[in-house]
Amino acid sequence: MQGPGSNGLAQLQATMHAVELACTSIQMHINPAAAEATLLSLRSTPQPYQACQFILENSQVPIARFQAAAAIRDAAIREWGFLIADDKRSLISFCLCFVMQHASSPEGYVLAKVSSVAAQLMKRGWLDFTAVEKEAFFNQVNQAILGIHGIDVQFIGVNFLESLVSEFSPSTSSAMGLPREFHEQCWRSLEIDFLKTFYTWARNAAISVTNRIIESNSEVPEVKVCNAALRLMLQILNWDFRYNSNSTKSSINVFSAVARHDTDSPRGSECTLVQPGPAWRDVLISSGHIGWLLSLYAALRQKFSCEGYWIDCPIAVSARKLILQFCSLTGTIFLSDNGKMHEHHLLQLLSGMIDWIDPPDTVSKSIECGKSESEMLDGCRALLAIANVTTPFVFDQLLKSIRPFGALTLLSTLMCEVIKALMMSNTEEETWSWVARDILLDTWTALLVPFDSSGGKSMLPPEGVNAAGNLFALIVESELKAVSSALTDDDDDDYLHTSISAMDERLSSYALIARGAIHVAIPLLTRLFSERFVRLDQGRGVIYPTEILEEVYSLLLIAGHVVADEGEGETPLVPYAIQTYFADNIEADKHPVIVLSSSIIRFAEKSLDAELRALVFSPRLMEAVVWFLARWSHTYLMHPEEIKEGNSAHDQDHQLRLLQTRKGLLNFFGEGIQGRLVLDIIVRISITTLMSYPGEKNLQALTCYRLLHALVQHKHICVHLFSLDSWRNLAHAFANEKSLLLLNTAHQRSLAQTLVHSASGLMNSDASNLCIRDLVGHMVTCLGELSGKDDFKIVAQQPDIILMVSCMLERLRGAASASEPRTQKAIYELGLSVMNPVLVLLEVYKHESAVVYLLLKFVVAWVNGQIAFLEAGETAVVVDFCMRLLQLYSSHNIGKISLSLSSSLLSEAKTEKYKDLRALLQLLSSLCSKDLIDFSSDSIETQGTDISQVVYFGLHIVTPLISLDLLKYPKLCHDFFSLLSHLLEVYPDTVAQLNSEAFAHILGTLDFGLHHQDTEVVDMCLRALKALASYHYNETGSGRTGLGLHASGIMDPGGNFQEGILSRFLHSLLQLLLFEDYSPDLVSSAADALLPLILCEQGLYQRLGKELLERQTNPTLKSRLANALESLTSTNQLSSTLDRINYQRFRKNLIWYRRF
Amino acid sequence: MSDEEHHFESKGDAGASKTYPQQAGTIRKNGYIVIKNRPCKVVEVSTSKTGKHGHAKCHFVGIDIFNGKKLEDIVPSSHNCDVPHVSRTDYQLIDISEDGFVSLLMDNGDTKDDLRLPTDDNLLGQIKDAFGEGKDLVLSVMSAMGEEQICALKDIGPKN
Repeated sequence: MQGPGSNGLAQLQATMHAVELACTSIQMHINPAAAEATLLSLRSTPQPYQACQFILENSQVPIARFQAAAAIRDAAIREWGFLIADDKRSLISFCLCFVMQHASSPEGYVLAKVSSVAAQLMKRGWLDFTAVEKEAFFNQVNQAILGIHGIDVQFIGVNFLESLVSEFSPSTSSAMGLPREFHEQCWRSLEIDFLKTFYTWARNAAISVTNRIIESNSEVPEVKVCNAALRLMLQILNWDFRYNSNSTKSSINVFSAVARHDTDSPRGSECTLVQPGPAWRDVLISSGHIGWLLSLYAALRQKFSCEGYWIDCPIAVSARKLILQFCSLTGTIFLSDNGKMHEHHLLQLLSGMIDWIDPPDTVSKSIECGKSESEMLDGCRALLAIANVTTPFVFDQLLKSIRPFGALTLLSTLMCEVIKALMMSNTEEETWSWVARDILLDTWTALLVPFDSSGGKSMLPPEGVNAAGNLFALIVESELKAVSSALTDDDDDDYLHTSISAMDERLSSYALIARGAIHVAIPLLTRLFSERFVRLDQGRGVIYPTEILEEVYSLLLIAGHVVADEGEGETPLVPYAIQTYFADNIEADKHPVIVLSSSIIRFAEKSLDAELRALVFSPRLMEAVVWFLARWSHTYLMHPEEIKEGNSAHDQDHQLRLLQTRKGLLNFFGEGIQGRLVLDIIVRISITTLMSYPGEKNLQALTCYRLLHALVQHKHICVHLFSLDSWRNLAHAFANEKSLLLLNTAHQRSLAQTLVHSASGLMNSDASNLCIRDLVGHMVTCLGELSGKDDFKIVAQQPDIILMVSCMLERLRGAASASEPRTQKAIYELGLSVMNPVLVLLEVYKHESAVVYLLLKFVVAWVNGQIAFLEAGETAVVVDFCMRLLQLYSSHNIGKISLSLSSSLLSEAKTEKYKDLRALLQLLSSLCSKDLIDFSSDSIETQGTDISQVVYFGLHIVTPLISLDLLKYPKLCHDFFSLLSHLLEVYPDTVAQLNSEAFAHILGTLDFGLHHQDTEVVDMCLRALKALASYHYNETGSGRTGLGLHASGIMDPGGNFQEGILSRFLHSLLQLLLFEDYSPDLVSSAADALLPLILCEQGLYQRLGKELLERQTNPTLKSRLANALESLTSTNQLSSTLDRINYQRFRKNLIWYRRF
Repeated sequence: MSDEEHHFESKGDAGASKTYPQQAGTIRKNGYIVIKNRPCKVVEVSTSKTGKHGHAKCHFVGIDIFNGKKLEDIVPSSHNCDVPHVSRTDYQLIDISEDGFVSLLMDNGDTKDDLRLPTDDNLLGQIKDAFGEGKDLVLSVMSAMGEEQICALKDIGPKN
């Protein structure tokens, strides 16, 4: 780049003025559009480097310089491929020199921008530059960092490395339009070759200025350098280390195995582990610079009273963050010496930061008096970080050498202080004590969560158990107090609702702490409960017991979390702490957990009494009762005894005792009298909540979905249910009582499902089927009678009739969805007997979309549950019914336009239509599955039912109802195209037989799908296309017609020749591949579709290729294109067969072709 | 207050009643409800409690099925609400007059001439065009609580 001549100079100055003008006018908001256009044009001009450099060096407007730097970046990244090596280098060194020369400039943001441009360009050229070239750049940077050119340049040097590291780190790098591999190579290269060096430079820079900082009493410029260096070190330690550590994965020692991966602990994600590997040992551990860091911070603490320093001043914050980062250090960087080295490291850190949090009461007081809380919070975070890399035992021991108590005691007292502060403050804002409580809870969780099911459980040492016990007592006290104080500010139920999930998480942490000291926690809870029960008994009718109710409510939630686990679809085990701690308690009825559970169940039983219910059992309290019963019964009620003989043979005696207590605990509520009694109570309570709490939807939802649903999930409980009078009462009430018709219809569905499920628990299948007939009989009769009425058409639209019909349809759907192989017969008969009523209802309620939807959902659930089991004759009946249903639905809805005035009603109508259609597609998919899964005794072809034709016919009915607008609903679109592509893939022969109208419709849809935005949809269309084309190719290859006229093209009535469909798709697919932007994920499927198309339409492909070449004017591009097209079809020994190998070869060719 | 008055009114009606009482807890989204004496389609239901240990109440958001206005109501969920009797009848379109009134064929052979098409010009044009082309059009008329409106249109193919 030569210097500009006089003519050039004038031009450069003109550009500069234009840019400056644009920048100032943007700032002043004068004509921003024009100004932006100017700046954009600067960025998009080819080769703007000279102008930009001119602006950077000469402009007086800092923003103009900033924009010039941005323009250099954009242009260079864009034109990198065309730049010659010298230009690349000179651009980078220009940027570097610029920042060094202007290091003292007050406009920091311009410098930061230029330095980040240098970093980005450096990365862009990283793989092209030789080691020597890189060395030259870094030499310059190193000189700066050494401090030879003064503090400002030193700062700039560190700053440049910071931008560089952040560019190379995958999560913070900026986009360059290059493949992922490029970024990964850079990432790897920097980590292996440079990162450690950078770290050492930063450390040395920081150390070199430390003395100056410590010695002076006011802020000195060195602070800036030191802060930047600390930041860089922190950033390097945040690096996602990959390449140094994995080589040593095999040699995991006991201690490093302790380091949990954050997936194991549910909340560990906030705390990332730092695992740089053994190569970093000398720099980080042996060099002793942790001592330096701690003493630096200690010195800073002394200065907090001085001018220029305070507890949250940047350098103090950076130093604390770096210390925290060191706490998370783990892995193979430590010697495998049984953890000695790691322990020593942690001890050093802990003793350096213990003053931040100890003594807890003083710390907490001074924060209440106005001291900043950030240091204390960082102390808590450090504890969390340490907890994440140690066991409870090691964690506790750490502190013992410098304090008379262990770290667990400190943790407990610290948290007690925090909770006390929390109780005092009692505001709704997030105070420091909130934050501290959450961090400390996380710490407990990290310590207590059993991290490895096979390895040892994390048990607390004795002192820690006491600490946890004290803490739990205080937690319960604070929760109870919070409850009663919250009552004073009356109903802010929004707040309650939003905090419920946060509360759940908190409660499970509390439960972990309680389980850490289970022998204290359970009796404590028992005592608290019984105190309140006594008070409730005494105060009956005299005082309004809201406060107590709320306390019982919270206690129920806490007890539920302590005693049992969530299960998440599995049968949860009795918590390990409960199994082990009470090992000496062989007498079952004195087992603390049994005592606690029994007293709660006895309390719950009182809700059956109407008078007490009105006084005590408010809907909200009842919700807690039902929730507790559901959670508790999942673990304890009639637990399937499957105690395995001890696989760990050692400690036989202990194991045996363990087994016995566990057995005692489970047998107590097992399938004996006691268990049946409790089951009966639970069922009666459920009936009460369903019948005696009218309109309490939440309570009833809990009862239906959590309690009853969970009960029938267990086969062994099902076995007992029908032997209970109470359950039979429920079934009877369901069939006969009006009051259950008042439940929310969705709950009725769930109830029907539950009852039908429970029937399958009966001893023999005849009894089950009989029982189901009893259960569902009323629905069949009801619908039959209604639809048979002469004046049904007239009364049908009365709200009470609509409600009745909706209830019955929901119940039918519930029953249908509970279909199991054993009860399949009864459910099939159920559907069969309502077929006609269903069609009548569909006709009568054609305008009542809510009813139509319920009806369709019932049919979908029924067909889905039955189809695989049906015999040929039954299948024919079902298929016929479905087709009539589809035709009827279609005849009502096709060509219908809603004329509503309100846009929201219109959009509601559209949503309803969407849901209907989705149900219909699901119906067709279910039918489709008959060909894949079939348990019937004979083949369905015996009755002449061809599933593929049926489904095509169904699709033919449904497709016209699906408008382009409706395809904007992603789920519908997805369902539709997956059904379509499934059909084309599995039954291409049936497509060939379709008439031209139906065929054209399907292909139109395919064409639409190919240009859809959703790659999955495009992928499905490509698969369908592949199926069609390869079917045709194979068929014609063996002398048959294949797609026949559809492929060869036909004369339309107007006498114009219509291109065959395969040529049309070859056209549009090539168009897509060559000229449109498409996701790289699609390449393989595009290749799979393209190959058979090319083979089918060789001539057309050649012609298209030729046209393409002729249109290209640039000769270099032309030859490249010719090469690419040539090699697409002729390299890699591609042959003209459609086998797997050939597909694979072609895929490779296409991937290669894309690079052109 | 207004609820009760309204009840009387509906009972006083000869023949089919205009509204039916139904427990608030059973009314679902997409159902109908009377709010401020207007028939509405429910587009949103949520439940909350009166006080911590009180009973549930339902919060309804409805859209007037005739004029499209949004209305809201809160009812204890064990209480009854009024649900309008909404019925729809299909008529064949015989004629459209200049001012947008339509002539519809009733079952007994008489014509019904008191309804007009929606005022949306675009839609009106479409309907007129389709009618002009000789297509067979069926109009659905929605009626509730003494009001009527054309709510949907269906093309059942060309006139033979």
